[in-house]
Amino acid sequence: MFRAAVRLSFSGVRSLTRTQPGCQALLASRCYSHGKQETEEEFDARWVTYFNKSDIDAWELRKGMNTLIGYDLVPEPKIVEAALRACRRLNDLASAIRILEAVKDKAGPHKDIYPYLLQELKPTLEELGIPTPEELGIDKV
Amino acid sequence: MAHQAHAYHMVDPSPWPLTGAVAALLMTSGLATWFHQHSTTLMTLGTILLLLTMYQWWRDIVREGTFQGHHTPPVQKGLRYGMILFITSEVFFFLGFFWAFYHASLAPTPELGGCWPPTGITTLDPFEVPLLNTAVLLASGVTVTWAHHSIMEGQRKEAIQSLTLTILLGFYFTFLQGMEYYEAPFTIADGVYGATFFVATGFHGLHVIIGSSFLAVCLLRQINHHFTSQHHFGFEAAAWYWHFVDVVWLFLYVSIYWWGS
Repeated sequence: MFRAAVRLSFSGVRSLTRTQPGCQALLASRCYSHGKQETEEEFDARWVTYFNKSDIDAWELRKGMNTLIGYDLVPEPKIVEAALRACRRLNDLASAIRILEAVKDKAGPHKDIYPYLLQELKPTLEELGIPTPEELGIDKV
Repeated sequence: MAHQAHAYHMVDPSPWPLTGAVAALLMTSGLATWFHQHSTTLMTLGTILLLLTMYQWWRDIVREGTFQGHHTPPVQKGLRYGMILFITSEVFFFLGFFWAFYHASLAPTPELGGCWPPTGITTLDPFEVPLLNTAVLLASGVTVTWAHHSIMEGQRKEAIQSLTLTILLGFYFTFLQGMEYYEAPFTIADGVYGATFFVATGFHGLHVIIGSSFLAVCLLRQINHHFTSQHHFGFEAAAWYWHFVDVVWLFLYVSIYWWGS
């Protein structure tokens, strides 16, 4: 859903103002001319599995995050949750907070996405004891 | 008079392997002495001995091959294998530095801001001098091939001209890179970015200088009529090495200068 919201592409006119989290948008975000298209659910599941690897190492965590942030979408809360749990397993609080900064940046001009993400992640943030950049006052330059 | 019943070259006893080994010892222990006792004498001595060794050893090979006829076809084949294996070992040498670069840049750490280029690093514009450098080396690859064909066709003057042009292009690259190094807004001490950049491009630059020197020796030999249209392996080895240097640059350019910016 979030990928449709941020995509300004040649693949057609898309709504830029989706704010309803319940939307089931099965819009493919990759415009390949051939090959099997991955659904959004498959994409999300793949990334959740990636971060859920119990023995994920620090390099893999950072690589995964960099690859994910390179995509033209805001990751679903369940992916971010899996990444935050991976940070917990790796004792990397710095990266956990950085992930929150990164997903806020990915939302770009769509100011409603980040608060929604934090709302969905609130139980996880509390469980893992991860402060948000806003709580730390580091969101202002 | 004794003659050999085979086409191989049983080399005469030579002191140069020993002087080379002594030079290596003096240079390494000299390096340690420089670090701990602030004296460069040992290291300088080692370097001089190394240069003398290289000059005399390779001079002897030229004498054995060009003037004494020891480089028969099987001997030349062995020299070809040797050069190929050496260049292969150099490929692995650079592979290590590329591994370091990709390890650091694919998964940048929190200290860097979790991003690549790291926070605070102003990268060089890949479409300015680095692109010119790419063009210079690619052009030198063309001129060295021209030189090869000239030698094979017995065109003495063209061979000298194209080989000279190749060397000038090599010098131009070195000059441009030197300027870039001087003007760069970051240093080797600027985190893993600076370290990977300068170590990888620095070793590449050293290899450009080595390659240019090798080609310069070939130019002198060509001027002195050492090469024939059928037999000029020294030149071929220099040309292989030069192409290798060019290919390494292409990987450096695409990976560090372009993707890494």
